[in-house]
Amino acid sequence: MDFFISLLVRFAYFIDSSKRYRRTKEFCRTFLEHPTSKLKFYFDLFMVVLVILSVLFLLYEVKTPELHPFMDFFINASLVIFVIEYLLRLWIYSDNHKIFLERYEYALDNRVTFSLFQTIRSIISKKLEYIFSPLAIIDLLAILPSYRPLRFLRIFLLFRIFKLFRYARSMKTFTTIISEKKFELFTLAIFAGFVIFTGSSAIYIFETNVNPKINTLFDAVYWSIVTMGTVGYGDIVPVTTEGMVISMLLIIFGVAILAFLTSIIVSSFQTKLVELKESRTLADIERLKNYILVCGYGRVGEVVAKMLHDDGYAVVIVDTDAGKIKLANQRGMIGILGDASKSKLLGQLGVGKRASKVICVTNSDEMNVFITLTARSLSKDVDIIARVVKSHHKKKYLLAGANFALSADETIGLMGLQYVDQPISYAALNEMLTENTGVVFESLKIHEKSYYVNQPLSVLKLQEKRLLLFGIVRQGIQPTDFLTYTIDDKIFYFNPPSDFLICQEDMLIIMGKKHHINILKKQSDKRPLK
Amino acid sequence: MKSKKILIFGFTKSAIEISTQLMAKGYDFTLIDNDASLIPTAEKLGFNLKILDYTDDVLLKEGIGENVNFIFTLFDDDAKNVFLILSVKALDPTLHVIAITHTKDTIHKLEIAGASTILDPYQISGKKIYKLITQPEVMNVIDATVFGYHDLNMEQITITKNSLLNQCMINDIYPNDAYNLLIVGIHDKELKKEFIFITEGFNHKLDTGDVLVVIGQTEEILRYKKDFNL
Repeated sequence: MDFFISLLVRFAYFIDSSKRYRRTKEFCRTFLEHPTSKLKFYFDLFMVVLVILSVLFLLYEVKTPELHPFMDFFINASLVIFVIEYLLRLWIYSDNHKIFLERYEYALDNRVTFSLFQTIRSIISKKLEYIFSPLAIIDLLAILPSYRPLRFLRIFLLFRIFKLFRYARSMKTFTTIISEKKFELFTLAIFAGFVIFTGSSAIYIFETNVNPKINTLFDAVYWSIVTMGTVGYGDIVPVTTEGMVISMLLIIFGVAILAFLTSIIVSSFQTKLVELKESRTLADIERLKNYILVCGYGRVGEVVAKMLHDDGYAVVIVDTDAGKIKLANQRGMIGILGDASKSKLLGQLGVGKRASKVICVTNSDEMNVFITLTARSLSKDVDIIARVVKSHHKKKYLLAGANFALSADETIGLMGLQYVDQPISYAALNEMLTENTGVVFESLKIHEKSYYVNQPLSVLKLQEKRLLLFGIVRQGIQPTDFLTYTIDDKIFYFNPPSDFLICQEDMLIIMGKKHHINILKKQSDKRPLK
Repeated sequence: MKSKKILIFGFTKSAIEISTQLMAKGYDFTLIDNDASLIPTAEKLGFNLKILDYTDDVLLKEGIGENVNFIFTLFDDDAKNVFLILSVKALDPTLHVIAITHTKDTIHKLEIAGASTILDPYQISGKKIYKLITQPEVMNVIDATVFGYHDLNMEQITITKNSLLNQCMINDIYPNDAYNLLIVGIHDKELKKEFIFITEGFNHKLDTGDVLVVIGQTEEILRYKKDFNL
């Protein structure tokens, strides 16, 4: 027995460490269950077509037992696919080797005897949990109508239609609504049951010997339900005055119950629709790569998001105000209603994976610091830029992990001083910061194959191009013969002379009109001089 | 102390920042608010806060006094700023008023009211963040140099009558390899345009009263001024 257990343990460890096994299972999970996977979307679409066609062929078979060989083949092929799908779902539902190893390691750690029987029981009970889940039962029953020797199994054809619930999201929403409103619906059902029971009993008592159409209690119940539903087939009608009074009361109660039922479902639908929309938006975000997350859509958020969006960057906005999110959506941006300080939401949005930059621009320092910390706890690599509301809180942002913390008041302070001290310089500084006149500061990176590598600055002919070189940022040791400043780990050469040699990886900081800078950039991208 | 009369209305965080900067540069200024409960906070921060009901024109006139160079209206409430500008302009239309705005709609109202310049912290923050995302090196360089962590300064130089630069064409005097200076632009006294960047490419003739805006080390700017008799 010990030898057998040891073999099983080895096998479990082998499975656990097998990359191929893990990859295959992960692929199947994505394929069958991942809500935002594209593969799942195509698979679901394929299954919906398969279910509808197979149901149509089986319905056709009811009156025409001799099917066309193609139809026959199709029904058999769909059966095979349904069986494979069922088995795959059963397989991915739980990891047997993990249950086995968990119990084995628990036994080792706590020095208790490992029970193989108990372990197998846990594994089977986990699988049974799936087998007896509603959707799995539908899956199983949907396979049965294809079993030709037992013709009565055709009734399970209905379950194949129910199988569509698994693939269509809107149908799932409907089942969710029903399950979420269980209590309300149950209460209403009890009340409706009570009305039906009372109505049926009353009509049975008053009319059973008078009305030839009401002979059994079943007839009475049938009449009650038809009357309550205000259908009125007319096959059974009351003939006594008492019966007529009962039918009038039943109609009134019936309308009231139907109205209640409708309102419960409609209100639930409305709530659910918002969630459904959100989940669709999340699916859209999942498809984005390297996007910028803007937390807070106030005035600062609006400015940043608009400029980035206009520049073609993928931007996602998170705000707790539904009105602001609506506005962002109207402006063609993706907006999510939610609290960006929640790790769950930022995790869902892929901070550090798909979202490469996070901008915290709410109007509260507490919130911005909290979002910064949350984003940093999710990823070490994500760039976090935060707006500091009260400048004395700036240090807290840096402690929380922000890469940059910007205080508007600090800038306002400097600009206010500049206005008093040197109003013309202020105008220049204001234009430089706001770029309202079209003059911008831009950086130009000298890549390996740039035309300018190893060329003196004079080659750039900046004056001709109406550009101004503010300086050059270069990685390296601080030289002594130039006016340089250390910025982070780089050296900034201020206003270098015309014979200054441009090197690969240099970053030129240029001022001028955008189209003039673009001309310089184009020239830089040409082949190097020989 | 530098001799300019500066009044700052509204004891807000922007007012504290501007006051701190002015104080560091040796400017004398008066902080004014109509809320007496702010006095302890102001004192704690080392400021002397004057309480004045600016809605009363008589008191406001007294409070402003004569020869005011600049008035800042920095209330958190846009309506207060607009009201104060109108009150001040009614007293003396020539006064320079620098106002802060908190909403996009108010910018135009402040302009109509007569603000000489409008500080929009939200716009500035937004644009700075945008620049940090799209061109981080540029923002780092501007922050580290122009905003003064290093000894690079942006200064304005007025062309005087006796200056050697008077009547010179800008293309003849710039670039000049003898000075490590950048001429960012010019304010032409004859033209109404507030500031013209050098990258506009116009070859201006420098006249008395024109202003050059330069970036460079303080000593280098001083040397330039001395050499050209500015």
